[in-house]
This record gives sequence, structure tokens and C-alpha cells, in this order.
Amino acid sequence: MKGTDKTGVSRRGLLIGAAAGTLSAAAAPVFAEDAAAPPAPDRPEDAIDLTRSYAFYGTGEQAGIRTPPQRHVFYMTFDLTSTSRQDLQVLLARWSGAIAQLMAGQTIGQVEPDRPGAVGFDTGEALNLEPASLTVTVGLGPNVFTDTYGLAAARPALMRELKTLPSDAFDPHLVGGDLSLQACADDPQVAYHAIRDLARIAKDTGTAATRWSVLGFGRASAGKGQTTPRNLMGFKDGTRNIVTDADFDRFVWLTDGPAWQRHGTYQVARKIQMRIENWDTNRVSNQNAVFGRHKVSGAPLTGTDEFDPPDFDKTAEGTPVIPATAHVRLAAYETNGGLKILRRGYNYTDGINQYGLLDAGLLFISYQKDPAQFETLQTRLGASDALNEYIAHIGSAIFFVPPAPAEGEYIAQAMFG
Amino acid sequence: MPRNKSLVRPVLAAGALLVLATGAAIADASVAPVTNGAAQVAITLTSDNGGSCVLDHASAPAGPVTFSVTNKTATALTEVELELDNRIIGEKENLAPGLPTVSFTLTLGGGSYQLYCPGAAEETQTFMVTGAVAAVPTGGAAAILAEGTKGYAGYVTGVVDAMVTAVGRLNSDIAAGDLGKAKADYAIARPFYEKIESDVDGFVLPGFKPTDNAGNLDYLIDMRASNLDDAVGWHGFHALERDLFEAGAITDATRQAAAELVQNVGKLDALTKTLDYKPEDLANGAADLLEEVQSSKISGEEEQFSHIDLVDFAGNVEGAQQAFAFLEPGLKIIDPDLAKKVADGFASVLALLDTYRDPSVPGGFKPYTDALKASDATRLSQAIQALQEPLSKVAEKVATAA
Repeated sequence: MKGTDKTGVSRRGLLIGAAAGTLSAAAAPVFAEDAAAPPAPDRPEDAIDLTRSYAFYGTGEQAGIRTPPQRHVFYMTFDLTSTSRQDLQVLLARWSGAIAQLMAGQTIGQVEPDRPGAVGFDTGEALNLEPASLTVTVGLGPNVFTDTYGLAAARPALMRELKTLPSDAFDPHLVGGDLSLQACADDPQVAYHAIRDLARIAKDTGTAATRWSVLGFGRASAGKGQTTPRNLMGFKDGTRNIVTDADFDRFVWLTDGPAWQRHGTYQVARKIQMRIENWDTNRVSNQNAVFGRHKVSGAPLTGTDEFDPPDFDKTAEGTPVIPATAHVRLAAYETNGGLKILRRGYNYTDGINQYGLLDAGLLFISYQKDPAQFETLQTRLGASDALNEYIAHIGSAIFFVPPAPAEGEYIAQAMFG
Repeated sequence: MPRNKSLVRPVLAAGALLVLATGAAIADASVAPVTNGAAQVAITLTSDNGGSCVLDHASAPAGPVTFSVTNKTATALTEVELELDNRIIGEKENLAPGLPTVSFTLTLGGGSYQLYCPGAAEETQTFMVTGAVAAVPTGGAAAILAEGTKGYAGYVTGVVDAMVTAVGRLNSDIAAGDLGKAKADYAIARPFYEKIESDVDGFVLPGFKPTDNAGNLDYLIDMRASNLDDAVGWHGFHALERDLFEAGAITDATRQAAAELVQNVGKLDALTKTLDYKPEDLANGAADLLEEVQSSKISGEEEQFSHIDLVDFAGNVEGAQQAFAFLEPGLKIIDPDLAKKVADGFASVLALLDTYRDPSVPGGFKPYTDALKASDATRLSQAIQALQEPLSKVAEKVATAA
């Protein structure tokens, strides 16, 4: 929702607004990217309030993009199994109504119907749980915008499959999808329930089948006002993420094109596997060189504080302090013509793999107004990043995320004309 | 905001009718106007009070009545039904905010009907029809469904009769020590049980407790390694499968197990002839057979030695499809959309199964090898999943048919 990050949301404001005082997100100075202001020791956005809920309907973007990242994610993509335009409309409408219920902490229908022989509308495992800041964000894949559904003309101008990029190492079972659902919440069972029941609607309407999914724990990116969290490599992730309205407008939201696409954005999802054991046996000085930052403080190797701007020109004994292949150097906007993307990733684990190694990594999700923003950055990173020795991009998909519907409408209703 | 709303539909007691009569949900008690020969009634779903179903007219003259349903803002509501004495007369599903208005027309006799909106603040409201009471329907959905259950009973009897013959042949092969013929006849005998399993899996032999597998006819006929009860041991089809396909030898124990299977299938035959069915039994049975496919065929655990899992798979699907086919004429009257969705689901599963046919092997389907499972299990499971969800809705529809 446009504006939720400024005004906060109903219950949260009531519960901690007074205690937060001048630290409230609305009143606090923006932690501008690279700003020297050190993080406040006590950030209200880090507090978990399970009674907090976000609105699904609105006039701006969908929730779950600018929303301060919650602690857990269940991300799933779907294949359309119907070629009927009407079936797609019904699915998006049923999903929209159900998501509005779920985000408000309500069931999507009866759990225990009294009618003989009836199955439940809602599977029930989120009963008596709080809304837990649940957001469910719906994405539309490239195949939606085709003649099959009479939507070829509605295709957003920059919608396409991602290019093949250096170091792509995809498992065919973890690629693509015609629809995506990103459910984030501070209670993992609330996120799980949301996707489970929405997947059930997809099958019940005969419209879509599950494709691939990632269950993530632990946010690996910071939103406005949040302490920067750490990825499973132990490093702070998202120190220089997009936070200002100006940057959202410049790098994330579509601001032109048909009205129904404005405040839309492109979602790129990558399942990035980490070679955990190799990383853990790598000396920390080398880990620091791989990232270009100090592990504990998050400060660039040229500074002392997390938010110190990296000095890419600084040398010691003739070699750059931040190595030429350091992750931070290759990803930085300073070295990419000012380019930024919004990162909203989560750590994940799939347990232990067939070799007895920890099977874990990062569900990288980024939002940008042009898929080329991601491609440009990943082209450089995939080719040269020192981190590549310890990671593999094993899954990938792209979706257009339309804006939030107004009450009484459903996601992307206007694209059906 | 705990999720504890409308877990159970409130019982409609006499007092509830009084509440309804004075409640705000009925916008206008005046009689619906008649246009083009049908009384016109609009039902509007809104988010008021957490979900409200509003009738613009709470009564209509006897005759055709068209209900036009619009979900304006009610995210908690997805369906409305018109009921008479708790029997569904007509309905609309898949309602959600933003979708166009949908309508259904019914010819109603005089009487007190109920508009049922599952999940609404007031789930049930009265809709009065004034004028002559309709004659008791003779050819209605309930009557057609009742006919269907008789047809299905005949199907079950026929399947069990064929099983008696096939198991007898298998027993003769084993008694004669003909391993090759026994293996072929095993594959031929197997699918009969899989077709009707959901109707017979509760049989307990006289003198046994329900918890004792030694008296559980389903255990004695169809137990497998994954539900082995050590106290009772191996019996039935899979005891034979293990000897024929894993050990590759017919022993005295094999002969004994085969003879016992003949006896137990005989008992099954006698019991099934006494069964009669309600329409919802057919629907629940069909759903149970698809659960069987998901839980033991796609995993390959049912036929772990013979690998004829796809033969059993086809048997489960045929049994489910037959049960549904006997319900379909009645369901088409109650809920044609659902009937079509389920019929389409069966058609796509059957078309997919056809691609695995191999007439050169006993049972007629490719062996379900580890390689085939690795490459195709997801596809098979997805097709069954797409059928399971709509099929799970059939029982309540046929149970409440008028």
C-alpha cells in the first residue's frame, strides 16, 4: 500500500506508538542510503507485533514490496492449467478476496461446515493465530500476457523472460511459472496457511497447479527503519537497500504506461544455493575480502561503520582495499551507473542434501521497474563475483506485479478491459 | 484478530427466524417484480458485518424466479444457495468481488425457502414464495441420484463377481505350481479390488474386534509391507506378490495364502451383495479411491515387487469414475458447473493414463519402474490433484439434493 510505510498500520501504531516516541518511522529522519547517521539502537520497525495487519486493497502498489520485511516467507509459483480467460479472471478474483481475508487474520470460509459431507473452505491451521503482518503479493508471469487469454495487448512493455546470465545453473524443476505468490509474515504458520489455501483455490477452480516453492526463514534484507539482518553467510545483507520514496519512484515503480500498470513492478526470484560447509571452513579474512565488508560490523573494508560509504579507490601497498572482485564493489550503484534494485530476500533451508551437506541458501527476490536492472547487475556478478565460488543460482523466475486493487475489485482486473 | 468466526453454521432454530424477520439483512420485504415471465430478485454480497448477503426482495410469486448475484465487497463469501428443507434447489459458486453479476432461474412453488450464504454474519435467511405449493417432484435430482446408487450397486456386484473368477484362476495357477502363469494372472486379478476398495474396507469378520487385523477383511486381502502387522503377518494379494515376484518361487505357504485369498474374496462377495448406498457414499468413495492413488500408487509402494502400480492406479480411477458417472445425471441438475469440472478432470486423467498403456505386458500398463516414477510421478500426481479438489465438493451437493 502506498503510504503504509509512512503512517504505519492500525494496531501497531496504537500499541507501540507512544513508547516509540520520536523514533516512530514517520518522525524519524530517513536512514538515507549511505547516510552517515548510525542506526538507532532501538528500532521500532524491528519489534514484532503479531496483531499488526496490513490492508490488501489500496490505490498504490501491492503490499509486500515496500512493507518492512517480515520474518518469514513462503514463496510459490504456479502453472496455468486452463486456457480460459474467464478461469483466469475467476482465479485472480477468488485469490484477491481470500488474500484480503487472510491479511486481516480471518479464515477464508468455514473450517468445520455443519453440512453433511462438506469439506472445509479453510484448512484451519491458522485459527486463533494473529494476522502477524501477513502480506501476499501476486505476480503474473510472461505466459499470462498472450493470445491464449486475450492479453497479448496488455503485456507490460518490458515483460519478457530473463536473459541467460553468467553462472546460471538452474534445476529445471525450480524455474519459471505463470503466477507467483509471495506470502510474508512474522509467524511462519500464517504464511504457510496462506499459500496452502490459495493453492487449493487454484486447483479447485481448475485453473493452476503448483510449480516450485521456497519456504524461507529469517529476512535477509532491511526495510526502512529496520536493523540490517544477516544472510546465512553471516554477513549483513541489504545495507544499501532502497528506502526513500524518491528511489522507489526512480527504480521500482512503473510510472508510465496504462493506468492499471502504474505502481506495478517486476519481481525477479532466484533460488541461490550456498556451499555452506566450504564457506564455514574459509578463513574470515578471506570471507571479508569476498564481500568487501567486515563480517561483524558490516562496515566496508575502507571504513569503520556499516553505513560508511565504500571507498573503491582506496589502495594499500598498491592494491585496492576492496578487491576488484569483491561482491560490494560489483554490486554497488557507484560502479553500475547509479543503478539500484529493491532486494527483499529470505534465508532458506531444505535440510540436508544427498551428499550429507547442509542444503540452504538465499531466496533472492528483487523488485525493479525494468528487468534489465537485475540483468545488468547479475551479468557483472555472475561473471566476476568472488562469491560465485560459494553460491549457485539454481532457480529463477520473473513476474509482473500489478498494483493493489481497490476494494470491490480484484488483482489486475483492469487488464481484462 | 483471532480467526474464530463462523466455524460452524449456526443451527437455524425457531428463534433464529424471528431474528431474521427483524434483522437488517432483509432489505425489502416487498414482492419481487415480474419481468419477462420471471420474478427478479437481486442478491448483493457486501463486507458489512464481516460479510452480508442482502436480498432486495424477500418474497416472490410462485413461478419462475431469477436470482442475480453480485459480490460487491464480500471477501469472506464465495457462494450462495437456495434451499428448501435443507435441500439445495439452486446455487452459484466462485463468487468474488470484481466478477460480473451471475444469475440462475428456478421455478418455485409456494413455501418458505432459505437463502444460505456460508460464512456470512447471518448465514441463513428466509425467502417466501406465495401461491400454489409445488407438487412433490418426481423426476428431481434426488430421485435420479437414488436411481444412480442402484446402478452403482450393480457395478460393485459385477466387479466382485469378476474378482472371484480371477482370484480362482490365480489360485489354480499357484496350486499347479505354474509361476509364469501365476504372475500374469496376478496382474489380471489385482485391479478388481482397487475399483471397489472404498466400499469394502471397513468389513470386520464376526467374532473379531475392529482393532484386530486378523479379522479385518481389507487387511487379509490387501495388506502390504507398509502396513504390516507383525502379530498377523503377510496375507492376501501382496503375500502372493512377494512370493511370485521377489522370491520367484511357489511354496506351500504360497499355496496356503492363495487358498485363503479365495476364501476371503468369497466372504467379500457375499457381503457386498448386502450393501446399499446413499448418493454421498458414492461421492466419498470416489474421493477415497483418489486418495489411494495419491498415497500408495504414485509412490509405488502398493506393488513394490511386481511394479504393476499403474494397473492399480487405473483400477482406482475407473472405480472413482464409475461412482461419479452414476451421480453425474443428478449432479448436472444441482450443479452443472461442478459436474463438468469433475467430468473434465476424469477425462484428462484417463487421457494421461492412456499414454502408459502397453498391451504386451500383463495388466496392460507399463511397469512403474524407479526411472518412470522419477520422471513422471509429478505429472501423474498433478492430474489427480486437479481432480481431487472439485470431486471433494460433490458429496455435500448430492447429500442435500432435492
